Amino acid sequence: MGKPLIELPYLLDFYPLEDSTQTRIHPFFENLRKGDLTTTRCKGCGAVLWQPRVVCPKCNGDEMEWISLPKEGTLFAFTEVRAAAPLGMEKDVPFVVGLVELKGADIKLISRIDGARYEDLSIGDPVKLKVLTLEDGRVFYRFVPSAPAHR
Amino acid sequence: MTRWGAREATWKELCQEAGKALFDDVTNLDKKSIDSVFVGAAMPERFAFQSYVTPMAAEQLGVEPTRMAMRTEMACVSGQAAIRAAYASIASGLSEIALVIGVEKMNLPNLSESHSAMASVLDREWDGVHGLNAPPYFAMVAQRHMHEYGTTREQMGLVSVKNHDFAATNPFAHYPKKVTLEKVLSSLEIAPPLRLLDCSGITDGAAALVLAREDLARRHTDVPVFITGLGQATSGNLVGNLKSLTTWYPLKTAAENALKMAGISIDQVNVAETHDCFSISEIMEYEDLGLCRKGEGGKFIEEGQSQIGGKLPINTRGGLLGCGHPLGATGVAQAIEITWQFKSQVPQERYVGGEWGLCHNLSGNANNHAVMVLHRGG
Repeated sequence: MGKPLIELPYLLDFYPLEDSTQTRIHPFFENLRKGDLTTTRCKGCGAVLWQPRVVCPKCNGDEMEWISLPKEGTLFAFTEVRAAAPLGMEKDVPFVVGLVELKGADIKLISRIDGARYEDLSIGDPVKLKVLTLEDGRVFYRFVPSAPAHR
Repeated sequence: MTRWGAREATWKELCQEAGKALFDDVTNLDKKSIDSVFVGAAMPERFAFQSYVTPMAAEQLGVEPTRMAMRTEMACVSGQAAIRAAYASIASGLSEIALVIGVEKMNLPNLSESHSAMASVLDREWDGVHGLNAPPYFAMVAQRHMHEYGTTREQMGLVSVKNHDFAATNPFAHYPKKVTLEKVLSSLEIAPPLRLLDCSGITDGAAALVLAREDLARRHTDVPVFITGLGQATSGNLVGNLKSLTTWYPLKTAAENALKMAGISIDQVNVAETHDCFSISEIMEYEDLGLCRKGEGGKFIEEGQSQIGGKLPINTRGGLLGCGHPLGATGVAQAIEITWQFKSQVPQERYVGGEWGLCHNLSGNANNHAVMVLHRGG
């Protein structure tokens, strides 16, 4: 305690405002808090959408259901931020960021890859979900290597 | 054009400088005849805590538009977007003589704020939040291009060497100094495989031009430059949903449409400005503009095909790598370079001339591309 709720003004803070007063996809964050990575599936046409949506861009339907996504994936591409980080992230440098291809799902997503340096990783390496709890209590997702770093 | 760099000047002062340069150059232009103003500015809200910049820019320039006044915001394409909007306004009959100015003041006392602003070009909540920004995004593009096509670190470095060579001839450039390949390959690692000299700079600057209906343009110059083709395509936004990291489909569409509208093929273009925000970008542009086969962009630079004397001289101004990249100003400066090429107003070392020019601007995670074909009139 004693920490301000959000250290940066809302509009300079990168993390989404995730509660039900600010977003209609608040179940994503509630599910994530329980360890579940989820997204919306359109009840009309069955399209699985990333990011979660309230209206289907394919069929215009607005009835969605929440489905669980795989918690494992592989690295499609990655790099390491060694300089020029945005405000609030300078202290994290160096950090790895990558494009993760979820296992068995036709979904790729950008994620911070914790627990590894650039030199430890190769394209195709397996990674798994990690739920990050921010100091103010909000949650977000990251990935970590499935196997311990081989260096 | 203003001098570009880490300028000790506000965005409004840069507007004044660009206006002075323009009105000094086009001497017989009565400011009162300018009926429209288009301002390309990507994010003055972030870089200068200032919205509603069009009336302010017009005031700095001493112009009072009576027909159209607007700002265009398409991140790094904001400049060419302003030219496109001016073209559309003139072509529709709404405007007759339009002033187009691109401006960006990016250097702040705390550069992390500038990097934050840049990261907000991506989907801030789902991509930017992970620390993704332009350098790491294009680093992944480079990694995949190397992985899929065998493009080498050295080939990317050669793009930077070429564009710095050209920038050394350009007094407006932020980085007007030649660099060696060794220097590129040993510069600070920003996001591997990309190093500092693979990245365009955080730059302050402005550029302005006048676009007029053909009959009116001929009153002001013996060498009018005509926009004869325009193309723009946008596809997707969230990085994970992009069709490809290593083929820029919207560039293919934009180029095809612009060239078709102009009635020429890419082989007829004499001089081109392409968006080398990173060294890998220019390599992919060779490919997706159709100058070489997919995957052979690295070979294209290695063979000197984008040098003067090669298949198509590219970025004779010095590109974004050599000139820096004040977001809203870049697209306007590209058009000015082609115009100066046509009018023999560039130093001999980078003179190409010719009849057909092409400008290419891209934005965001390369999900939006704009291509413009220019023709030398006479």
